[in-house]
Amino acid sequence: MSTEIQINSDQLEDAPISRFEALKRVLRQSPMSFRIGGAIMFVHVFIAITGPFWAPYDQATIFTGPPLMGMSWEHLFGTDMLGRDVFSRVIHGAHLVIILSISGSFLGVALGTALGLLSAYLRGWFDEVVMRLIETLISIPYLVLALLLVTAAGPKYSGEPTLVVLVVAFVFAPRVTRLARAAGLDVVMNDYVTIARLRGESAWSVIWRELLPNASGTLLVEFALRTGYAPVLIGTLGFLGFGVAPPNPEWGLMISEYRDLVLASPVVVLAPALMLASLIIGLNMWTEGLARILGRSVRHEE
Amino acid sequence: MNNSSPYLARLEEIHLSYRHDESWLKVLQGVSLDIAPGEVVGLVGESGCGKSTLARLLLGYRHPSSRIESGRAILEDVDLLGLERNSLDGIRGRRVALVPQDPTTALNPSMRVGAQIAEVLCEHGDEKSEEEITARIIELFENVGLPNPEFLVKRFPHQLSGGQQQRVTIAMALACNPSLVVLDEPTTALDVTTQDQILRLLVQLRSRLGIAMLYVTHDLGVVAQIADRVCVMYAGHVVETAATERIFSEPRHPYTRGLIGSVPRLDLDQDKTARPLRGLLRRSQLPKGCPFQPRCDFTEPSCAEVHQHPVEVASDHYVACQRWQHVEQEEQTRLKDVPESSPVTELDGDDPLVEFDDVSLSYSQPGRLDKLIGYSPLTVVHDLSFTIRRGEVVALVGESGSGKSTIAKAVSGLLPPCKGQIKFNGKPLPGQLDGRSEEQKRTIQYIFQNPDSSLNPRARVRGALGRPLAKFFAMKVSEITSKIAAALEEVRLPKTYAARFPDQLSGGERQRVAIARALVAKPSLLLCDEALSALDVSVQANILSMLEDFKKDREVAMLFISHDLAVVRSLADRVAVLFNGLMLEIGDTSAVYAPPYHPYTYALLQAVPDIERRNEMHENIIEQETSSGGRACPFAGRCQWKLGSQCETTPPPWRKVTGKHSIRCHRELDNLTALATD
Amino acid sequence: MVTLLMVSVVVFAAIEIIPGDAATRYLGRDATPEALEVLRERMHLNDPAHERYIKWISGAVTGDFGTSLTSGRPVTEVLAPKIFNTVILATVAFLVYIPFSVVPAVFAAANRDKLMDHMISSINLLAVSIPPFLLATFLLILFVITFPILPAISAVTDESTVGEFAIAIILPVMTMAIVMAAHTMRMLRDNLIEVFDSDYIRMAELKGMSKHRVLLRHALPNALGPSLHITALNINFLVSGMVVVEKVFAFPGFGRELVDALLVEDQPVVQATVLLASMVYIFANLAADLGSMLLNPRLREQ
Repeated sequence: MSTEIQINSDQLEDAPISRFEALKRVLRQSPMSFRIGGAIMFVHVFIAITGPFWAPYDQATIFTGPPLMGMSWEHLFGTDMLGRDVFSRVIHGAHLVIILSISGSFLGVALGTALGLLSAYLRGWFDEVVMRLIETLISIPYLVLALLLVTAAGPKYSGEPTLVVLVVAFVFAPRVTRLARAAGLDVVMNDYVTIARLRGESAWSVIWRELLPNASGTLLVEFALRTGYAPVLIGTLGFLGFGVAPPNPEWGLMISEYRDLVLASPVVVLAPALMLASLIIGLNMWTEGLARILGRSVRHEE
Repeated sequence: MNNSSPYLARLEEIHLSYRHDESWLKVLQGVSLDIAPGEVVGLVGESGCGKSTLARLLLGYRHPSSRIESGRAILEDVDLLGLERNSLDGIRGRRVALVPQDPTTALNPSMRVGAQIAEVLCEHGDEKSEEEITARIIELFENVGLPNPEFLVKRFPHQLSGGQQQRVTIAMALACNPSLVVLDEPTTALDVTTQDQILRLLVQLRSRLGIAMLYVTHDLGVVAQIADRVCVMYAGHVVETAATERIFSEPRHPYTRGLIGSVPRLDLDQDKTARPLRGLLRRSQLPKGCPFQPRCDFTEPSCAEVHQHPVEVASDHYVACQRWQHVEQEEQTRLKDVPESSPVTELDGDDPLVEFDDVSLSYSQPGRLDKLIGYSPLTVVHDLSFTIRRGEVVALVGESGSGKSTIAKAVSGLLPPCKGQIKFNGKPLPGQLDGRSEEQKRTIQYIFQNPDSSLNPRARVRGALGRPLAKFFAMKVSEITSKIAAALEEVRLPKTYAARFPDQLSGGERQRVAIARALVAKPSLLLCDEALSALDVSVQANILSMLEDFKKDREVAMLFISHDLAVVRSLADRVAVLFNGLMLEIGDTSAVYAPPYHPYTYALLQAVPDIERRNEMHENIIEQETSSGGRACPFAGRCQWKLGSQCETTPPPWRKVTGKHSIRCHRELDNLTALATD
Repeated sequence: MVTLLMVSVVVFAAIEIIPGDAATRYLGRDATPEALEVLRERMHLNDPAHERYIKWISGAVTGDFGTSLTSGRPVTEVLAPKIFNTVILATVAFLVYIPFSVVPAVFAAANRDKLMDHMISSINLLAVSIPPFLLATFLLILFVITFPILPAISAVTDESTVGEFAIAIILPVMTMAIVMAAHTMRMLRDNLIEVFDSDYIRMAELKGMSKHRVLLRHALPNALGPSLHITALNINFLVSGMVVVEKVFAFPGFGRELVDALLVEDQPVVQATVLLASMVYIFANLAADLGSMLLNPRLREQ
């Protein structure tokens, strides 16, 4: 008797909204930083994807005009010391920087996630070994590690975009591993993981079904955050002469190449600098908003 | 103080809302409450009814995302809701003080406890010099029964036990002799016996200091011990107010009746005057009129439309129900319809399912070197031997730290025994999970205490129930879907719930899903680890009756772990009492709940706040520390019937009361019977 | 200690895999095989790798890092003055950084979600987003070119007076302090807000403590502990930042020495600098652990 009544009273509850509806609701209430950051990012991604098709000149063509001619309609951001069109170089640079950043941080986060979650679930000697390794790599300052790696790769590979991606991934991976492990440990404490373990599920099954979905919020924020760090690292490497080789139009490299020209034509330095800064600001704002939506805090480090 | 007003504090027609997404959710809807000087008022209701929010208004505290639409909170003729922060600082701690729910989080972890009280005295007290303040703190510590106060003032919170921390917060509240103390579920986070001690302390302080108290709790048993008057809240409304004696003997509101009916009793033979509550409080489906209408058994159509005002049904007894006159009569006829609950089925067939043979458990596994030098790591459970028969419910009862969950872990394969053996179905059960067969993994299922953590928040109910089906029975998708529907029905949930995520379920519903997940594996043994402890009484009562049905219908054995003797009373066939990892008593349920008792069982039974034993507190305010009690009887340090040195030196012998009931104690059985009946 | 030892292995291995050996680098590509062989023998390059590692690390423990390949002087002698310069720069930056992070964090947290908080957080977001080399470049353009009040390069020598030194480090210090403070301020604000939400803060309010007392006596000590670890991380960041900043401002310090050594593959100098950089980080972490132990009595007992 009371059974039926109870089911009835429970059904009075309005049907739960679908996840898609929930997503729409979240986006409608999304914080300002998420929207502004998203807009800036959209512009950057748009330029990165379509830019190569409508950029007025090729990035490497020299003497498209007289060197260091300043701003004009033919050359929006002027020309550099070789007469290359700076506007086109900046546009092509967007393409390069965004591809490098996303692939580098994706690789690093994927590697770190797999290692971190496995370490959190298995514990024991595997965890010990991974943690020692991580500690070692983290204690080398990240830029020093990156520079060391570029040097170790030798002159044959240095300057290759692929090497830059690998270096970014390698520098990020230990830091992501540490985070993923901590997030994984939080999830492992829950009884549903114990239940899965008692059911005799394999380690990968538990990680895939139980750990990953519950750590995904943290890891998503981490990926967004890392994608924001990647251009910094890539730019710094380029600036110091350890990144992609000239004549690649990487912004950090351009800033370093044009630094001495600042008196003659300030715009050639400012253009890549502002592009880089706005990309990072946009990404960081977006990350901030994303984190707030997901109820996670952003842990800025390095 | 103004003597002209008959009350000390008064909440007047409070309407308060919380911000919820974009809208405002009404949490308090026209609540009024008086407290006279020196009076103890109990504020009772289920979680989410708004009782804590209401109580904190008496401290002038509002949550930042809440809004007061109307009403006043008056303390000694001052409306606290109109005051600025600066003026409130002068009242809080001085005129009105708070005892928080969980002392472990309410004390600043980086300050010594003495300093935390000293700052209250500095800001508000009359004592100014350092010596005076120190003397006052020590006096306060003595008043709240803290042993060795000079030593304790210098400690940090984490160095104190939970009971001691709560005594510190009580001392802090009393520091400036406030006229009102608000106690917000002050014993909920504590063990039964510690709760009992704190309650005794509060009763004693009340009679000695004459301070008015507002005692907020979900536990009717606790209110019965301490309150002069009880105020029952439901969904932001006060539904009934009366003197404590009256509210238990003549409850008028259907909700109050249901609440009292839901309380698990130690005494099963008592005539039930009311039935347990059904359903759940859902804020989203409150009708315009009586908020309780959707769950009420006595409702008439107009209930949902007409706002219910409190009516004085007897002197100082107010009820907000238009049908209060009919309730009593209708309940009597209904109760007659209910079939007598069948007595506990006697299991005569001696068909053991699980056998513990001299099992000891420890969290640190001895290393090779340790084995070599004969070092044995700290054991949590010692020399445990007992059996669970097929289809039998055995309850393991004890305080936190008694090792009861550890035993369940050992059966489940999470913790291999460091000594002895567990047999399952007559065969030795491998200690490690990896060594067990698929069949063994399937037939032993675990239900955890906390429904929040036992379901994957990112998996739908369908996924949670489908996984064991796919894993153990290799079922096809279509088959799984129909099985899930059946499983949900069995735990009395609609089958549409299969598409829900855990955050779209209430705590009780989640626990039902967790039970369903265990049942779909067709287990022969369920390990219920405090499976009901995190739930409200009414939900608890419902799930308990559900489990009783499973026991009858499905012949599933249970190892039912609980700290609450009252909860297991109706469900268990046998009860085992555990203390510090040692089993002290085991026997058929009815035998354990009757003399002769083991001294610890007796202490536990005495500590259960029972609504039948109202205001019968004897004074005993000094905290009894749990001592390890030497190597012999672990309970010796706390035993009120301790014989002498032999309790601390020699292990107590098992004494057989009847064939199935045994007590492990140095005292003779006749002696124990005599002591308990005195 | 174990970590430091592992760092040394990693550094040694990284240098080891660089194509071409030290002798070739020292004598150049045109060297005769005989000359190379003689040099290899003298530099013990023909010994197996693990023997050379043991020789190097036992030297390192006693402070002997070998001889610089480019200058021919002992590594210690080459590095000592650079380290001295860097330590002064870092210390000043560190002292400036502490108030710059704590004060705005407390103001932002105390006025949570109000105008003040939003303003501080926005400025903070900008500061977090700008890569150090870009910030350095901007500061350079601003104070050297637009308002020429400071020298463009901070090239101090042994003969520089204290006054010259002070002026020289203004810009590097500013860059470092801003970048580090941005990260810590953010962390401290979040920690403070988390602490503000705790039960014991509400308890302190409800026992009638004034706003100031709640903030300074109850909240701040509990929020500082986790922030100390961020400060330790910042040391890591500081070292990475030094590399960039010293390069931009041509400041003769440790970081610039590292970059230069990497560029010419001066193996002993690289090994010594990386090892020292990691050592700084490891000790900073240790110090942070000790510090939070002092703040948190619960950790003190363990």
